Amino acid sequence: MAALGIVERAYRGALEKQFFDGLYLAAELNRQLGGLEILLRGPAVGCAARTGAAGSLRFGDRVVRTLSDPPQGVRRLLADGIPVWVEEPDLVVLGLADDGVLWDGVRRVAAGALAARWAEFRMVFYL
Amino acid sequence: MPMEIPRTDVLITLMGAPHADDLITTTLRLIEAMLTRGGRVQVWACGYATLLTQRALGDSKPRNPGDWSTDYPSTAAVVEALLDAYPDRLFWYGCRFCSDDRGAVDHLPRVRLRPPAGYAANVSAAAKTMLLGVI
Repeated sequence: MAALGIVERAYRGALEKQFFDGLYLAAELNRQLGGLEILLRGPAVGCAARTGAAGSLRFGDRVVRTLSDPPQGVRRLLADGIPVWVEEPDLVVLGLADDGVLWDGVRRVAAGALAARWAEFRMVFYL
Repeated sequence: MPMEIPRTDVLITLMGAPHADDLITTTLRLIEAMLTRGGRVQVWACGYATLLTQRALGDSKPRNPGDWSTDYPSTAAVVEALLDAYPDRLFWYGCRFCSDDRGAVDHLPRVRLRPPAGYAANVSAAAKTMLLGVI
């Protein structure tokens, strides 16, 4: 029985979090809990968009090339076989509703629709 | 004797916490941009922003089990890189109360702790003050 992780807030510290963002944690929870599904809502639906790799930033003589990269995080979750759902109205708000904008395999769902499935999950939590 | 506060073009009062949103990334980019254009900048770190410059962070984040050999710089290392590059134009202050209140008591050597009651002196030493985030 899988767990459901809901992600509503996106982009929470590219410089300080780097690799260890909520989607990295999701992969670990999937491993430890024996199954996980992810629901992206609100601004977090942007993490499902097909984009290039995150860039780098220079601070003095130091170049940071390891910034958080949520779209790549979603891609890794999909590669791990983790179902990733996104709420359709939030895609429309952010202009991401057209075909080909999201990573292949991302599943669209009506707002609130996944709440009807909560009883199927061993736990539901926010990430 | 009161601490001398060098005059700057801008004072950034950094109130927001790291790991919450992209405020810290944006603020450090802003600081770098102002410095590369020849500006003089001071930062007053307040609240959980005092954690950014803790020596306990070391130069690197904890290792990534999924990418063991990659180095991920700590925020302390990033701030130190800025202080190294602009020693005469960047000044970093930490709020002593907020630091003590959060156990953030071991800052980088060039971070100067200031009492909350001294904040107005920093504001007076800047042509413009910005407050970013909330405590």
